[in-house]
Amino acid sequence: MRQPGAYSNLLSGGKTGPHSLPLARIKKIMKKSGEDVKMISGEAPIVFSKACELFIEELTRRAWAMTLQRKTRTMHKEDVAAAVMETDIFDFLVGLVSHTPNPSATPES
Amino acid sequence: MSASNNNNNDDNAFESSKAVFSISMAESSSSSTSEQERLLPIANVGRIMKQILPPNAKISKEAKETMQECVSEFIGFVTGEASEKCRKERRKTVNGDDVCWAMTALGFDDYAPPLKRYLERYREIEVDRANQNRAANTGENDDNNLLFDKPQRDSAG
Repeated sequence: MRQPGAYSNLLSGGKTGPHSLPLARIKKIMKKSGEDVKMISGEAPIVFSKACELFIEELTRRAWAMTLQRKTRTMHKEDVAAAVMETDIFDFLVGLVSHTPNPSATPES
Repeated sequence: MSASNNNNNDDNAFESSKAVFSISMAESSSSSTSEQERLLPIANVGRIMKQILPPNAKISKEAKETMQECVSEFIGFVTGEASEKCRKERRKTVNGDDVCWAMTALGFDDYAPPLKRYLERYREIEVDRANQNRAANTGENDDNNLLFDKPQRDSAG
């Protein structure tokens, strides 16, 4: 028996809403993160759906600060990259954002 | 399953080529769908970004795509830490508390309190829902007995 309303905000379950990140997809991404990841409780993707929201909000806010420095109203990926560079806890993203698919870039060995 | 031994060699060859085929199928299917499966939907990501920005703000598609990548990396990063903790403690299942713990361990202390509250609320709702289901199931059975006097009439529960 599905009980909408009470749960639909909290439990995203793939439906759109205020907390709307698809749990099944989150679970897939978790599984792909490594060999070690064997079993994932039902709660873990739920926690991540909220955590990802917080993460996106923080990175977006910081990126927007970069956008404003450029005196423009359109956020570009360089703003996201700049926000990553200046935030310690986003160090794990440095490789990702500096990895531009640029034919002229020298590949890392 | 071969009953006769006559075609053993053929069967072995067939089985091994089938194994190779299924492995390569798994690899190719994972790489063709991997783009979709390793990222959260851009619409969802874009919406969360938009909600936090002023109304006149614009977000380039590339910025959203970069954010998608960053979120997936974040999930992997935190999951790795959480699953390492489970491994050390010889537990097989990564649970919500492990994820909260990993956030703090990796410097996302600010996220931990709202996440813990979120998790607690989720757990309360789940207990509520389990109790309601139990009550509903009990109620349904009674109703069925009242409505249908023919015993062989099994209605769906």
